[in-house]
Amino acid sequence: MADPVLLPLPRFNRRFIVTFDWVLLGLVVLVAGLGILTIYSATRSLSGDIQLTYHIRQAGWLGFSVAALLVTVAVDYRWLQRFAYALYGLGLILLLAVLIKGRMGMGAQRWLSLGVVAFQPSEMAKIFFILALSRYFAEVKRPFGMRDIIRVSALFLLSPLALLVLQPDLGTGLIFCFIYAGMVLIVGVRRKVLIALILSVALAVPFLGSVFWSGLKPYQRNRILAFVQPQADPSGIGYQINQSKITIGSGALLGKGYLKGTQGALRFLPEKHTDFIFSIFAEEWGFVGSIALLMLFLLVLLRGLETAQMAKDRFGYFVAMGVVTMFTLYICINIAMTLGLAPVVGVPLPFMSYGGTALVTNFIAVGLLINVRMRRFQLFY
Amino acid sequence: MNSRRAVFLVTLVALGFLTVVLRLVDLMILEHDWLSQRAYRQHVRSETVAAPRGTIYDARMRELAVNRRVQSVFGVPKEIRNPGQMAGRLSRVLGLKKTALAERLSDRDKGFVWLARKVDEDTVRAIQAMNLAPEIGFVPETKRTYPKGRLASHVIGFVDIDNRGTEGIERIFEDVLRGESGRVMKGRDALGQALSSGEDNAQTGHDLVLTLDEDLQYIVEDALNEAVEHHRARGGVSVMMDPYTGRVLAMAVNPTFSPEHRARPENWRNRAVTDVYEPGSTFKAILAAAALEEKRVRVSDRFDCSEGVIEVGGRRIHDHKRLGVLTFEEVVQKSSNVGMVKVAQILGSETYFRYITAFGFGEKTGLTVSGEVKGLLKAPKNWSGSSIGAMAVGYEVAVTPIQVLNAYAAIANGGVLMRPYIVSDVLDSEGRVVKRFEPEAVRRVISERTSRILTEILETVVQDGGTAVNASVLGNRVAGKTGTSRKIDRQTGRYSRTRYYSSFVGYVPSQNPKLAMIVVIDEPKGSIYGGEVAAPVFRKIAEHALIYLNIPREDTGHVVLVSG
Repeated sequence: MADPVLLPLPRFNRRFIVTFDWVLLGLVVLVAGLGILTIYSATRSLSGDIQLTYHIRQAGWLGFSVAALLVTVAVDYRWLQRFAYALYGLGLILLLAVLIKGRMGMGAQRWLSLGVVAFQPSEMAKIFFILALSRYFAEVKRPFGMRDIIRVSALFLLSPLALLVLQPDLGTGLIFCFIYAGMVLIVGVRRKVLIALILSVALAVPFLGSVFWSGLKPYQRNRILAFVQPQADPSGIGYQINQSKITIGSGALLGKGYLKGTQGALRFLPEKHTDFIFSIFAEEWGFVGSIALLMLFLLVLLRGLETAQMAKDRFGYFVAMGVVTMFTLYICINIAMTLGLAPVVGVPLPFMSYGGTALVTNFIAVGLLINVRMRRFQLFY
Repeated sequence: MNSRRAVFLVTLVALGFLTVVLRLVDLMILEHDWLSQRAYRQHVRSETVAAPRGTIYDARMRELAVNRRVQSVFGVPKEIRNPGQMAGRLSRVLGLKKTALAERLSDRDKGFVWLARKVDEDTVRAIQAMNLAPEIGFVPETKRTYPKGRLASHVIGFVDIDNRGTEGIERIFEDVLRGESGRVMKGRDALGQALSSGEDNAQTGHDLVLTLDEDLQYIVEDALNEAVEHHRARGGVSVMMDPYTGRVLAMAVNPTFSPEHRARPENWRNRAVTDVYEPGSTFKAILAAAALEEKRVRVSDRFDCSEGVIEVGGRRIHDHKRLGVLTFEEVVQKSSNVGMVKVAQILGSETYFRYITAFGFGEKTGLTVSGEVKGLLKAPKNWSGSSIGAMAVGYEVAVTPIQVLNAYAAIANGGVLMRPYIVSDVLDSEGRVVKRFEPEAVRRVISERTSRILTEILETVVQDGGTAVNASVLGNRVAGKTGTSRKIDRQTGRYSRTRYYSSFVGYVPSQNPKLAMIVVIDEPKGSIYGGEVAAPVFRKIAEHALIYLNIPREDTGHVVLVSG
């Protein structure tokens, strides 16, 4: 085995081109392209104001993201396995940095300024979290008992969760928990442990719920209240949910047509180009378009699952499963949120929502999938 | 990964997607109609655009009622954070109570409340300077204004705050004047910024041209008001008409009111058509016309009135003094009650009643002003034994001034009862005639010969020896009749000894009448006789009006030129 400490430089030869997963890259670039089109439609000006440039910036981010994906693919994932814990530590440091020296935005401290651009460390921290968990699971080859659960939780989950709650970033914190839960399920736990876990969660919910509730910021409480009863707060967050439903509902079977939507451009739907981009897409492309978009997402996820099955080692398998879990959660929670099926938790739609850090992170995650897939035949490197 | 777990996870993801798809079906297909309607309603708003109301002109196209563009102020309570402070800022400018304003602005559920309707330009500027948008806004409206103030206000009437006609011509011709309010579809974004607006299809209301002449109206009102004041009367009515066409040239009512600053609703009635009175001696011309037309009397027939009193059905009817033996002409000239009762007895109640109705009493004239009543007229079968006597001298019958005038106009014009009218043309917004009202004959009542004979008799009323020498007009002969009738005391239900209607009705020049006119003074103090109270008013109006109308003097043939 070659020394994986050295950065294994890729060879951009015929082999690279043949084994590279162009289908997956094509899928995500297509979705991102639809995203840029929708961002333009959502932020276009109808009242003669200055035209916003979100779509141009997002296009720039897409270019950068593809580059980041290629870099991710170039590095052998086993090298990442070696440094997984170190990267995890880096993620924690970034999260800490954002708390100390972050920029406020939308009522929370989530951004870290890097001169020209600002980015959200919590996005990168997710990738490092998946890598670290994957390495741990890859090396512990047995069904999990209660002791393992506690150990892994203490090792990997608690510190990032604490840092996220302090920001506060409810959505990402929840995603961390879900990714963790998903990966634990994938690893497999003893049935007794599983039942005990479910029971203890069920019992703890009322108690934790009240603690949790009192610890929430007012805007977070509003979101949950508004989800339960949107009509109660028609001008606040309930407005957001109602507007989202109105926007989607006015799409009908075939949609109003591209650039024919009104609810975003007329500024009735807040967060139209970020968390609620799906609503705008649905308004313009209709039920048929929405189903097609869901199919694209489903294809991405299935390609990821296939990659996991093909992975030549446990680490690759867990990385792929972690990424798929993450995407699944994001897609489901975001769309459920726009449809009024889940509380508004501020989770973007992967590849489509406006936001540079998220786009780059998601492409890096896709890069990990491609990386695992194309190195499945390489026994010796 | 074992396959059972894989199946479980894939199933989980599949269920998630299925839920999403079902929800999409729900929102985009099942609830689509409702949701898209909500979306549409959010950003497309249909606003009513009030149509400008039609103008009312006098016969010479002088404006009597017009529209002025004004602004109304509204508040948006939803947007107002501090209603108390806002109320404080506005109360001084609008001249409204701070507490009342604050209360209206506090209803946070509302997106619109009126604060002040139709405010003047200074107020608008003062509020605009405060820069209160979007909490406070303006709506352009039109305000009905009456440039001539009180002039003809009883005829024209007025509108309410929403420009709906509530009295007078404004009310009767509401449908014509109002026009069709239009709708504008306005697009707007969530911040209320207007984006586009559709075509405004409001239809301006039609204009009205009245038969009234502003100058004649002024002459009549001036003389009437002066007389009411001079005699310290409760009020009065004077109407002027063209006897050949039925065109009402002037219609004055006292007390007056201002249509834009009105108080005391009891003064809004157009008493020329809404209030009845017993016509007294002016009614004798009706009886005379009937008797002459039926050839039951001749001008030279003699009536013994030397007793000064006559008993009819147990009631005694007096003359004001013993008048001796009078010819029929003199009976009318000197207004002998005794003589007229004898005439009525000769004619008989049925025939007399037929003429009363033929002259239009007991029915509405159909003049298009608000509130006309038909008066009270008993059929002969309901008459008591003394009724023939009372009716002969103008009692036991309640009439409106317009009915009396219209009957005299028939005598004046050769015997044809005309339908009086006050609106001559309806014009569209481009000034084209949409509808023209033409003179309309109701029926012939008496022959031209009877008309001529009666006119000669009525001329003697105004000459020496008559009761209305004060109605004689310089240079033109006048035919007419005085009336002095007792009012019924509301408390006792009997005729008052102190309260009278003094009236004069007549036409000039009598042989070729241009004007028929009635003057009724309600409860003059001091002198109460129609010949002394109402006749001078007739003279004053007639002299001015004839000059204004450039009608040559009968004696010299000269036209008195209006100067200045």
